[in-house]
Amino acid sequence: MDERLERYSRQMLFAPIGESGQQKLSESAVCIIGMGALGTVLANHMVRAGVGMVRIVDRDYVEKSNLQRQMLYDEDDVREGYPKAIAAERKLRRINSDVKIEAVVADVTVHNIDDLLGGMDLVLDGTDNFQTRFLLNDACFRRGIPFTYGGAVSSRGMSAILVPGKTPCLRCFLPSADSGGQTCDTIGVIAPVVDIVASYQAVEALKYLVEADKARRNSLVTFDLWSNYYYEMKLGEAAKECPCCQLKEYPALQVTETDQTVSLCGRSTVQISGHGPLNLEQWHKRLEPAAVKVELNAYLLKAELPEGERLVLFPDGRVLVQGTEDIVRAKTLYARYIGY
Amino acid sequence: MQLIINGEAKELDATTIQDVVVHFGLEGRPLVVEADGEIVAKEQWPDIEVRPLMKIELVHFVGGG
Ligand SMILES: [Zn+2]
Repeated sequence: MDERLERYSRQMLFAPIGESGQQKLSESAVCIIGMGALGTVLANHMVRAGVGMVRIVDRDYVEKSNLQRQMLYDEDDVREGYPKAIAAERKLRRINSDVKIEAVVADVTVHNIDDLLGGMDLVLDGTDNFQTRFLLNDACFRRGIPFTYGGAVSSRGMSAILVPGKTPCLRCFLPSADSGGQTCDTIGVIAPVVDIVASYQAVEALKYLVEADKARRNSLVTFDLWSNYYYEMKLGEAAKECPCCQLKEYPALQVTETDQTVSLCGRSTVQISGHGPLNLEQWHKRLEPAAVKVELNAYLLKAELPEGERLVLFPDGRVLVQGTEDIVRAKTLYARYIGY
Repeated sequence: MQLIINGEAKELDATTIQDVVVHFGLEGRPLVVEADGEIVAKEQWPDIEVRPLMKIELVHFVGGG
């Protein structure tokens, strides 16, 4: 046997994978979004199994409270305050140096998701919130890349592989990304749930990558380890009005006005971007009659409004609404003075 | 009425699927309801009446990770 393949000998003895499956794995690329509890277990499986290229993405740093369940990290990582993606990469390289590992320290947003999925055969969901998951869902379904959903909280877990054109997507089941307030940070989580969920995801990933389509699980598995509950819900058909599967709208990928409006936390300021470049001298003339006071310098224009708030305009098109944290109020003022 | 909720027989006062969801305090949660093996769309929860021994699965989507 080829020396390089020796480490996979037991996996290749498993007939449904075999030598040809191992070859397929080595030619595959997967992206793991989120390197927390699920992500670390997923990466461990993918790298040990010999998937050719593994891209890992996370925006966070390793903290002590992660060590109870995030299996690639240790006390050194906490001490050094390493980004999770970097700490994981370091550990994963020691596990299997034949795998190409690409660590990305970034917040996954509508602006970078498509780049992150470029060249990937499959996406593994290691996210900890439905908002990012819906973004993943929409980006994957638009590109036609399958993704394995996994979720774990308390003693409950859930997993399914969602394949564009073959199974429903997450939006077919859930109309909105509201998690109902239950997260690992509010009601906790025990580690065995994490390992099981991520292992369900990982095995579906292996099946998909070795093209064992008949073996694919066509259900959403859900369980509660503490109360010994287990149930499989048939995935069935895509929902009739699904904005992804049927209407092809992919809502999370639509860069709307709302997406460009952010409340700057703790600063009583809302930033609204998306306007084209602003000619400050022109805007000075326009706002002068309406505003209580207008100040212009080389970098910005400040206008004190009769309503009490203040607008700050920048040449790049950004507008700050100061004196409120209320996005609706900010947009009202923006519409009133800047328009759209 | 006796219903089979997530595999367990439960006695509860409910006329519709919506009543069952409310009984378990699951309104507003990411939830899929199956009644006798069929997914019931959320809009239909108030309209679908439950009957004795109906098998109802409350599949509560899990967001953490
Ligand atoms: Zn769908």
